[in-house]
Amino acid sequence: MEGLFSQVAALGSSGVLLCGLILLWRRGVGAYITAFTWQSAVLAALTAAVGYFGADRQLYVVAVLLFLIKAVAIPRLLRRVAQRFTAGREPAAYVNTGTSLVVSGLLVLLAYAAARPLEAISDMPTRAGMPLAMGLLFVSLFVIISRRMAITQVIGFLMLENAIALLAVLATYGVPLIVEVGVFLDVLMGFLVMQIFLYDIHDTFSTTDVDVLKRLKH
Amino acid sequence: MADTLILAGLLAPWAVAAACAAALRHRQRLAARVTAAGSVVSLGAAMWLWANALGGRAATAGPGALFRVDGLSALVGVCVAAVAGLAMLPWPGTGQGDADPGRTRFFRIFASLFTLSMLVAVTINNVALMWVAIEATTIVSAVLIPLHRSKASVEASWKYILIGSVGIALAFAGTVLAYFDFVSLLGRRHDALNWTLLMEVAPALHADVLRLAFVFLLVGYGTKAGLAPMHTWLPDAHSEAPAPLSAMMSGVLLAVAQYAIIRWKAVVDAASGPAFTNQVLMALGLVSIAVGALSLVRQRSYKRLLAYSSVEHSGLICLGLTFGPAGVFASLLHLVNHAVAKSMSFLLAGRILARYRSADVGAVTGLVRTMPVTGPLFATGIIALMGLPPFGMFVSEFLLFRAGFAAGQIAATSAAMLLAGIGFIGLAGHLARMLHGARPDGVAAGEREWWPLAPLAVSLVVMVALGLFLPSGIAQLLGQVAEAFTP
Amino acid sequence: MFDMAGIVVEVAQALLALALAPALVGFIRWMKARLQNRRGAPIWQPYAELRKLFRKDMVVSRHASWIFRVAPYVILGSTIVVSLLVPVLVTPLPFNAVADLFAVVYLLLLGTVFLALAGLDPGSAFGGMGSSREMTVAAISEPAIALAILSLALAAGSTNLGEIAARTIARPSSALSPGHILAFVALFIVMLAETGRLPVDNPATHLELTMIHEAMILEYSGPYLAMVEWASWLKLFVFLTLAGNLFVPWGLATSLTPAALAIAFAATVAKLVVLAAAVAVLETRVAKLRLFRVPELLAVSFVLGLLAVASSFSLR
Repeated sequence: MEGLFSQVAALGSSGVLLCGLILLWRRGVGAYITAFTWQSAVLAALTAAVGYFGADRQLYVVAVLLFLIKAVAIPRLLRRVAQRFTAGREPAAYVNTGTSLVVSGLLVLLAYAAARPLEAISDMPTRAGMPLAMGLLFVSLFVIISRRMAITQVIGFLMLENAIALLAVLATYGVPLIVEVGVFLDVLMGFLVMQIFLYDIHDTFSTTDVDVLKRLKH
Repeated sequence: MADTLILAGLLAPWAVAAACAAALRHRQRLAARVTAAGSVVSLGAAMWLWANALGGRAATAGPGALFRVDGLSALVGVCVAAVAGLAMLPWPGTGQGDADPGRTRFFRIFASLFTLSMLVAVTINNVALMWVAIEATTIVSAVLIPLHRSKASVEASWKYILIGSVGIALAFAGTVLAYFDFVSLLGRRHDALNWTLLMEVAPALHADVLRLAFVFLLVGYGTKAGLAPMHTWLPDAHSEAPAPLSAMMSGVLLAVAQYAIIRWKAVVDAASGPAFTNQVLMALGLVSIAVGALSLVRQRSYKRLLAYSSVEHSGLICLGLTFGPAGVFASLLHLVNHAVAKSMSFLLAGRILARYRSADVGAVTGLVRTMPVTGPLFATGIIALMGLPPFGMFVSEFLLFRAGFAAGQIAATSAAMLLAGIGFIGLAGHLARMLHGARPDGVAAGEREWWPLAPLAVSLVVMVALGLFLPSGIAQLLGQVAEAFTP
Repeated sequence: MFDMAGIVVEVAQALLALALAPALVGFIRWMKARLQNRRGAPIWQPYAELRKLFRKDMVVSRHASWIFRVAPYVILGSTIVVSLLVPVLVTPLPFNAVADLFAVVYLLLLGTVFLALAGLDPGSAFGGMGSSREMTVAAISEPAIALAILSLALAAGSTNLGEIAARTIARPSSALSPGHILAFVALFIVMLAETGRLPVDNPATHLELTMIHEAMILEYSGPYLAMVEWASWLKLFVFLTLAGNLFVPWGLATSLTPAALAIAFAATVAKLVVLAAAVAVLETRVAKLRLFRVPELLAVSFVLGLLAVASSFSLR
């Protein structure tokens, strides 16, 4: 049973990370939103699985919240924004696709190195997925830095939150429920504010390419 | 029971103020008075908590000691309540000068919520809930930055929310890692994330995991504290926000982030010794001082000048934390002094902006003659920030450098002194240009209504008092906190 | 040293591979036709093509050198040697000592290099273009395939094909481990690139400017063309067999009894049919990538291989 639990956890974490990598490969905001939706869905399923195997009912609640907020509500809002603002294709990012993919591979290796102390002290069956969660964390940071469209940066930030949620689920079977609820509220509020700002940027600059945000220099 | 009441007195007035401003749509004067009264109540409660902590007791309230106010909490809490009270008075730039009630109401609601979340962050005992409160501060303050919609303010608010949220998310990653360390040792407990429990079990926690966690935490909370190289949002946000918001952000939001760093440093030091955290803090502190001071020289906008000065002082505070108990004492004193001086400077900068209608240093000349009350007050604020006597920051910087030399960190302290000197020159040059010279055309001269500045006299008095002598209440509290937070 | 039965089985395996490869390609073509609502040529059509080509005369360019004549033999020969090493029916093979995964990959690369040279040799423009494109794809897919192999080797502790298969049979749950699955996906993507299938290269195209593999063999005719085509079909067979029998090795015969061999035959055919169907469906669904996008696809494969290595390494 424990073998199956470990396998499921490792598979789920790989799935979550791979959805993140799609952000670096495909171009087009629709593909990004789909990747994020799938990632959140896999994460919710994994949370429910950890709740089942780890006999922790609170995780079911967390999984349902995760699914509703991050796989249903937020993608819907994102698609509405994307429809209004973008022509579909992302302008050339600051780092090209091939290099981005190779860099992300190296970042995952870095995550494996950084997560070595974590794996050493943990005896949870889910510990194999922790380096993958950290890998997704680094890859999301890279996406935020290297992309030019504001909406892609927002999606990168949402993936960063997913990575941390995954780390929490794998490392400690989730944080206490009240904290989870607080985190969800914060993420939702943060996203709503970012969405407002996307509208603001578009109204003020007639584009959402963050390259134009360079009036304020030094 | 008394504790609960006092804590309610600290937090509730801001919730009430927000609710009032929201509900009393057309009677903003009444809302203003409610806010002012509430801020006095809150400040009083904070002072009571200070006195309580002086007695060596920590006030607790809520189920399972959800709120716990010890010396450090009381210190930062008083700063927050005082600066917030000052900032909520009718200053220009928040719609009150130009009689825009909608804007005023919007500002009042969110600024009250902002203060509430900052106070919750410093008084709550749970690490993760503190994180939730700090993230809430990011969101609430981001909404207020583009109060006056313009290309620059939209850009500033975008950078703020993106970089701020990313930083805060990394801080949460660090929190999760620390929780993981705890859980792997002691299993999952519902109070695992309380500071008190963490400090107790810290020596038994795994050093390398906590070190990794500290890196994330420092990058995360350091982003909010304005440490370089994560500071890129700060000059934009603080210069484009309305002046009272900048006063609050520069003065006390940075202090709240520093509070989080200090608490976590104590936990990690108890587990793995101070060497690692000192190294990392020293590196980031020196880089921040360098970036802040060197950028001061070439600034064109006086609000950005103040913002970069915040970066420099934030770096100084972090550097001081690495110099042992004397350094922590100096850092905390510096934190208080900076809150007072920076908030006053920003509020005055708001008035100057309203009069001169330009944020450019070159466009503001003849300040002394044009605004005979604001001008000299602004000058004292800048002189205080430069670290000159008889103001408090001179004392705290002196103590900081002395602690550095005493701790044997000759190179770092000398570098910091040199960089602070460069910052001094930058500020002095700009100030001189602003104060003297001819009044530009189109700018009204003289100040008939200078009584809104009366509350700032309190700030001035505090700055001088802290510079000439250190009241025993303050010194004792700082000493207690310094001792408690260094192993 | 080598027992007779073993050698007989080895040679039989190679002959079987040679015999079945055209059927495999015929099946893929038939399936694509059916998916596109056409009736399609029967599955044994490639055999008819081979017979036709072997009977025809050859026309060789005046500018061609000995490379042009030698290349088909080298290509077909190296691919047949590879089919001797790959576990089609039996594991461990009598030639197991040299059945190393790196050896397999680089023998196939030998064929690729000679094909590229043969494309350049006659001096035609399209041949040169095909060769340069082929070398670009091969150069970028080398690291990807090396990583995919490395991850398998790390999980099994050796690059020997027999060992890898045996290790996976011994621990069935490792077949679902992330390292395994990622390596499979990485290998599948590289296989598409190396064997010239969509989305990297369209094997049924007639437009010279879109060709990679076909352009290199434009100058070949008659028996030489038959040999080169057969070699490329055999390469596809070998790759699919590797993908099937390394990652899902159940069904391989571990002893030389007729029953085990029959089961192995059925199992291998089943796996090949499934994989070939997957290739056919994929080819029908995707469009050919523009050439400068192929490195991005292979970079994805590279990253998946890197992830597979990291995961196998940490789960050792």
